[in-house]
Amino acid sequence: MLGQFPRLLSYLKPYKKRVLLAVILLLSISFTPIVLPKLIAYTIDTVLPTHNSVALFHVFLAIVAVYAFRGVVSFWLNFTIGWLGQRVVFDLRFQSYRHLNRLSLAYYDSRQTGKIMARLMGDIDFIQQMISNGFITFLADMLSIVVILVVLFMYQWKLALVAVAGIPFYVINFKLFIRHIRPLSVELRERWDAMLGVLQEKLAGITVVKAFAREDYEIDRFMQTIQDNFNIGMKQMKLNRKLGSIAQVIRAIFTGLIIWYGGTLILHHHMEIGELLAFSALVNQLYDPAVRIVDFNVTVQWTVSAMQRVFETLDTRPEIVDAPSAIALRQMHGGVEFQNVFFGYERGQEVLHDISIKVDPGQVVAIVGPSGAGKTTFVNLIARFYEPSRGRILIDGYDLKKVRLESIRRQISIVSQESLLFSVSLKENIKYGFHDATDLQVVQAAKHADMHEFIMALPFGYDTKIGEEGIKLSVGQKQRMSIARAAITDPKILILDDSTSALDSKTEANVQAALEYLMEGRTCFVIAHRLSTIMSADLIMVLDAGRIVDVGTHEELVAKPGVYQSLYNEQFRSATEDGLEALLS
Amino acid sequence: MRNFLRFLKEVKSYWRLLVVISVLTLLTSALSLPPPYLIKILTDDFTQKHLSANLPHILILIFAAYVLLASSSAITGYWLSYCITLLGQHFKMDMRKKLYAHMQTLSLGFFEKSKTGKLMSNITNDVATLDQLISGSFVNVLQDSVTLIAVIFILFKLDWRLSIVALSVYPIYIANYLVFIKRIATTSASVREQRETIYGDLQEKLTAVQVVKSYARERYEVLQFTGETRNLLGLNVRATALSTGLWTLAEFIGGLGTAILIWYGGLQVMQGRISAGSLMAFYGYIGGYLYQPTLRMIQLNDAIARTNAALWRIFLNLDTKPIVTDKLDAKPMPAIRGEVNYEDVWFEYQQDQPVIKGVSLHVEPGQMVALVGASGSGKTTMVNLLQRHYDVIKGRITVDGLDIRDIKLASLRTQVGVVIQETMLFNTTIRENLRYGRLTATDEEIEEAAKVANIAHVIEALPKGYDTLLGEDGVKLSGGEKQRIAIARAILADPRILIMDEATSSLDSETETLIQEALDRLMAGRTSFVIAHRLSTIVKADKIVVMESGVIKEMGSHHELLAEGGMYASLYSQQFKVALEAIAAQNELAGEA
Ligand SMILES: Nc1ncnc2c1ncn2[C@@H]1O[C@H](COP(=O)(O)OP(=O)(O)OP(=O)(O)O)[C@@H](O)[C@H]1O
Ligand SMILES: Nc1ncnc2c1ncn2[C@@H]1O[C@H](COP(=O)(O)OP(=O)(O)OP(=O)(O)O)[C@@H](O)[C@H]1O
Ligand SMILES: [Mg+2]
Repeated sequence: MLGQFPRLLSYLKPYKKRVLLAVILLLSISFTPIVLPKLIAYTIDTVLPTHNSVALFHVFLAIVAVYAFRGVVSFWLNFTIGWLGQRVVFDLRFQSYRHLNRLSLAYYDSRQTGKIMARLMGDIDFIQQMISNGFITFLADMLSIVVILVVLFMYQWKLALVAVAGIPFYVINFKLFIRHIRPLSVELRERWDAMLGVLQEKLAGITVVKAFAREDYEIDRFMQTIQDNFNIGMKQMKLNRKLGSIAQVIRAIFTGLIIWYGGTLILHHHMEIGELLAFSALVNQLYDPAVRIVDFNVTVQWTVSAMQRVFETLDTRPEIVDAPSAIALRQMHGGVEFQNVFFGYERGQEVLHDISIKVDPGQVVAIVGPSGAGKTTFVNLIARFYEPSRGRILIDGYDLKKVRLESIRRQISIVSQESLLFSVSLKENIKYGFHDATDLQVVQAAKHADMHEFIMALPFGYDTKIGEEGIKLSVGQKQRMSIARAAITDPKILILDDSTSALDSKTEANVQAALEYLMEGRTCFVIAHRLSTIMSADLIMVLDAGRIVDVGTHEELVAKPGVYQSLYNEQFRSATEDGLEALLS
Repeated sequence: MRNFLRFLKEVKSYWRLLVVISVLTLLTSALSLPPPYLIKILTDDFTQKHLSANLPHILILIFAAYVLLASSSAITGYWLSYCITLLGQHFKMDMRKKLYAHMQTLSLGFFEKSKTGKLMSNITNDVATLDQLISGSFVNVLQDSVTLIAVIFILFKLDWRLSIVALSVYPIYIANYLVFIKRIATTSASVREQRETIYGDLQEKLTAVQVVKSYARERYEVLQFTGETRNLLGLNVRATALSTGLWTLAEFIGGLGTAILIWYGGLQVMQGRISAGSLMAFYGYIGGYLYQPTLRMIQLNDAIARTNAALWRIFLNLDTKPIVTDKLDAKPMPAIRGEVNYEDVWFEYQQDQPVIKGVSLHVEPGQMVALVGASGSGKTTMVNLLQRHYDVIKGRITVDGLDIRDIKLASLRTQVGVVIQETMLFNTTIRENLRYGRLTATDEEIEEAAKVANIAHVIEALPKGYDTLLGEDGVKLSGGEKQRIAIARAILADPRILIMDEATSSLDSETETLIQEALDRLMAGRTSFVIAHRLSTIVKADKIVVMESGVIKEMGSHHELLAEGGMYASLYSQQFKVALEAIAAQNELAGEA
């Protein structure tokens, strides 16, 4: 279980001087809690009865001195541990995020964004708490218990026995209840997460809720989740309070016992009243640390599971990494070749079978095929988002696996099926792929995507923010924005995944004309369903159920019976049946 | 302050609980007072000879008093916590329900302008802040003020001169607190803001990780993130330093007070003015009963300030009136026949930027209407208006002759089925996703709808079939598969009017035709609106409406519009240019032959 700890400690290593400092500081103040009761006892038992006002003044000075010392040291100590905790958190977070960015898409496919975020924020915060509070409190508690016990037994061992006798009761009570409280806390946490999930999904998907007039249904569902939270919250409180109340009574009984027994001892002149007072003050500092120490292993367990989750992320090997000998492909020409490529997202469920195709630099390839055939998957492999399970992909004759990933991706632009834009200004969105772009280049890219006029008509032009706090774009406008974003990077390979589906033919033609100019000398892969987009391609690749069923030009494919021909007929005939005469006449 | 009064009004409905809590609080603080006094009795009995006669009895009495006090305060404490938690939890639950229910009544426009994260935080964090004020600060302050008054009273009763001396550091203590707390508050506010920024960025970048990766922007993102977390580190360290500083100084000042008390008090004892027991009582009361309660009372001020912001946001939400509401005398919509009429409709999202400009459109029951036109010309907006997500600003829309503003919203929307342009599915099973269309649908009906949408075979091929989880936790579907699920969901709702906004844009023509044919059968006699850019999808529409910049440019059947030779005809020839040329060539060949 503790296996993770050495690893966490390794994060403290660079700061070992500070850790050492913290330990020394801690040791040096651990005796202060016993000094004050002793001083008071001394005052009551010795100073006051003897009317020694000089000694009294010394007591005064001693108290001030102890507090001053304690103040300086504890400030230093607390600051040091606080700093250490924050620093380790920073290091961990930085590492985790850097690592997350290295992980490939497959990692994200199987994980909820919310969970990844919880690791990066919540779990790491938990570790910080552990470092800043857990460890130190534990050490301090241990020290103070030992010191107090020694002092108590030195005072009056019989009385000390009475005090110590209370600890087991206290601890047992705690243990009995906490066994039931812990699962509730976990459950509460889960219910709370569930509630957040419902909230997030239904607020983000409010359009669907409203379209189906499901508001009342959603309110009911939400009500159920918060009712759950309510019930568990109450249950947890009851147990907590019972634990607290019984502890309070146990403590009172033993304090009472000590006073009673101590008083009897005083009557028999075995001790003095001031000592008794000091004694009972010290006993009070015994119980809570005892429980905290007993409970420490739970904190440790929680921290360990938080650490496990964080380290799991850190230990996930990115499926796609640069080979040590990988070369940077500085100037790509754009030749792409698939050699007997097989691929599946999940083991045993193959999506692409035996794909072989050769595309020359500068060619425009249209990919057609029924929905779910694997078109998106095919282009994802070119950008090396996933690794083929068998076969090779070559770019300019180099095996994709032997080329530096970043050098490839910088020269490939993908406009994916779903347009994801960031909630920043239009300009920053377009510049995302190429941060050093000049304003002129931004305008040029927007013009290519036929967005310039629309943007200029906006009051703030290119600086208009989009997203929840800015303006809304229609779906076609979003698509054109992502085309602009791809266009600005000057890629050698351009991939358009169904990215003009929301454009009318005229806008599409405009974009296409601009793109064609742009496509000059670039290899393009275009996934589309509309004939007009496909027909002018140099090469049409027909995919069906993960296999290439045909490759050729439009003329070739239309001429022979097959998937493409029927696709063509379907779309064309329905449109031309009535239209033809009208148009030809 | 006005917010605050309103808040009190919200709390007023729990007055019974509040009364019980007040009584219990008084009891608890009363029960907490005696222990130092018991110490005084004890000390006096031992130090003053004339009192020590019946010591054994007194010892038993003190013991009994300790146990009795603890037991009764344990019991009252238990009930006090119970009532407070009950109040807090009830308040949170009621408030959350109120907020969420209210949000559900608001129209789409509201959600487009608010970040989902902010709305969530309103329901979760802001409400929790209020609860902290009620069940934390309020109760504490009640208890603390009672304790403070009682303790000061006891102290002055014991010895007023010693009281004044002992309390001499008290103002410094408070001043120290006040000096620090302002800075601490601003720092922790910045910490919170910084965290929110990081959170927001993270959320966005992780959701769009594919974009980040395809532009190889990882290094840049890491750099960005490092910068932000470094800021957070700085702020956190500052916050640590400040609060450590505050509490160390506070402890020192308190210690100084104790030292002065012991010194001056000791002198008084020597002079026989007070007893050693009284000194011990002072020592006990001042250490444990004075400083903490005072600080908590000062903190109330802070808590109120913080709550004020939360209150403001909550009430802002609650006060947002839904733009689209049922009229008081709104009638439920009878079964829709399907006649739809747009009469000179004007609409704008933003003031003075009309998106729909005087559209008039008449649709007979059972007709299929196709909307085509440039991207951004207002097609989606047109159908949004029919569902009454927004109200027109001029003109009116009628369904079966009834102005849609005069009928009950829910009765309209349940009869209008829609497949929205950006497919949105929930993170649950396929079956649950489909059933969202009609909650009472049986499994057979669900499968039937999936067949119509031509997705049944895909679902059945999945290992878990209809019980497959979708979304982040479950399987990923291709774009076209998602669209077909959305279509099946709309079909299941058995709508009288069906709206398909680019519902088949990611489908190949063959699949599309299959779906269309199945739909034709199903929707026979029902009105439908279809938005599509692939013209083959819409050629057989009864009415094709061509839109440009918010106005209707042309209207008619495929035939008529082609003959007109306007915008539609040019769209058409654009799309089929190559094919038409080919056919023309063929015809020529045939003609020559
Ligand atoms: N990330 C993923 N994890 C698991 N399975 C996936 C993933 N993405 C797609 N699939 C599955 O792989 C198959 C091929 O999907 P792909 O997205 O390549 O289809 P497509 O040809 O692009 O279809 P469409 O035209 O509908 O977009 C589909 O059955 C889909 O359900
Ligand atoms: N919620 C909104 N708030 C503000 N403006 C909007 C909103 N939705 C759309 N708009 C703007 O209104 C105009 C019309 O948008 P609409 O979505 O109706 O276009 P559309 O014809 O459906 O286009 P597309 O074919 O690209 O989907 C666009 O210029 C768009 O930017
Ligand atoms: Mg639209």
